[in-house]
Amino acid sequence: MSELKKMWLISLRDLKRFIALKYWLAGQLAMTLADIFVFALLLKGFIRREFIPDYLRFVTPGAVALATFVASFSIGREVGMEVRRDIIAHLLALPMKRTTLALGRVFSGMLRGLVYQIPFLLIAALIVSPPPIERTPLLLATSAVLTLSMSSLAIAISTISRDFNVQATFRALTYYVLFFFSNVFYTKTALELRFPQPLPDIIMLTPISIAADIYEVVFQLLHLYRYGESPADNTLVHPANLCRDPAIPSQPYEEIASR
Amino acid sequence: MPGPAGPPISNLRAVALLIKWDLFKIAHRAIFIVMRSVWFAIQVIFFGQVLSHMVNSRLVGLDPSSYYRFYLYGIYTSILFTITASRAYDLAEEFEDGIIEYQLSLPINRRVLAFGRAVGGGIAATLFTLPMYATVVLLAGERDPIAIAVSLVAALVFSIAISGLVITVTLSIKSSDATDILMGALDAILVRLSTIFYPAAILKSVEPYYYTALVNPISHIADILRILYSFEEYRSIVIAEPSAMVSYVLGLFVGFTAVAIYVIEKKIEGGSWR
Repeated sequence: MSELKKMWLISLRDLKRFIALKYWLAGQLAMTLADIFVFALLLKGFIRREFIPDYLRFVTPGAVALATFVASFSIGREVGMEVRRDIIAHLLALPMKRTTLALGRVFSGMLRGLVYQIPFLLIAALIVSPPPIERTPLLLATSAVLTLSMSSLAIAISTISRDFNVQATFRALTYYVLFFFSNVFYTKTALELRFPQPLPDIIMLTPISIAADIYEVVFQLLHLYRYGESPADNTLVHPANLCRDPAIPSQPYEEIASR
Repeated sequence: MPGPAGPPISNLRAVALLIKWDLFKIAHRAIFIVMRSVWFAIQVIFFGQVLSHMVNSRLVGLDPSSYYRFYLYGIYTSILFTITASRAYDLAEEFEDGIIEYQLSLPINRRVLAFGRAVGGGIAATLFTLPMYATVVLLAGERDPIAIAVSLVAALVFSIAISGLVITVTLSIKSSDATDILMGALDAILVRLSTIFYPAAILKSVEPYYYTALVNPISHIADILRILYSFEEYRSIVIAEPSAMVSYVLGLFVGFTAVAIYVIEKKIEGGSWR
């Protein structure tokens, strides 16, 4: 059996285990759906329009990024449990290279994220705007890079110790920092009003922030108002800007929001 | 706790022992304490600060600093609810480990057992959140000792009520998995469908959400804490009349505790856990 096939088998095994976590999945789904359809919908009428004209549409691409992150990060729990219960010794004894095993686990985190994000992509297409077909590769590439990096991070954190408390504490700390220190719920302008540089710049460059920005481009919220700048003035060098299609003229946000 | 063969113990001593048991359980959840403390710190230092600058607080007659204080009381209520609700996982674990069956076999009246567990859960959650409450009071610049004392009593009553609800739900559905999903979903939805982040006037923009918030105990206790400290500032934006909110929380306390007593007294038998 080729190493690639072995890697695929490991990834599929983990994906099946992920789907079997139906209670965890239901709780996570409820939380993300509540963030979109309750929290963002209610705050839509409460957030100052000069910051964010439509909070529901603002949060939705970010919620896709968060959901993708949460699912791919969940592989850390499995790996942590395997380290604690010495199941890892059995896995290491299997006839495959360690690199194959490690990559298989990383890919399984990716698969988790990609599968879990599907309903949220549909929701984003309904709430914001369906992505044009030519931007689908960008969507897939962003999701793949986000899930691969977050899955690797979760696995690395879970292997730093065999102690459950240490594992869980570091995983929770990383999770909270990445979750809240992102631009999913606030704009850079709002961050700059309250916190000194370089914190706002750092927050805008975290993995989830970058993914949220690119999803925003994919879902045609062309105005990158997460930066609080008009499209014409937006000269900030940012991965999401590099992805903008110069052939599509920037539209005023209100025009998009009124659709 | 004395075993089944031990001498009968007074009801008061039994309640004290059950409270001690709940305190012991929560004190041994180091990881949970660290996680919730980090979550609370990020909410207070970061999320709340940014949100208070983004919301149009003038829309509801508040200035940004008033909204931040509004948020602080809300977030304290949220963590008090979450920690009290998390007692469900402890109860499920105790049932799986046979501890509930053991407690049912003790020479303690079942009514006393139910009351003791509800009060114990409430006290444990309130004590656990005391550092967070102190942080909120300090950040909000509150100094009134009477308001602090009354608000702590209100928080305790609320926590005991939720503890009674948690006992009723967990021991009625008798399934760790179902408890897990139900409590997770309830926490996620009830916190957002309350006045924790937004005043009642904002909730009115989506009527079903407003009516849900109106019956949601979290809204009432959060607004009680707000008017206890700044009556004039918040009285126009709370979800109901102060007397109605107090009556509602007291009603929940009596009602949920009574239902928990009924469930433990009449419905629970050992060996029925799934």
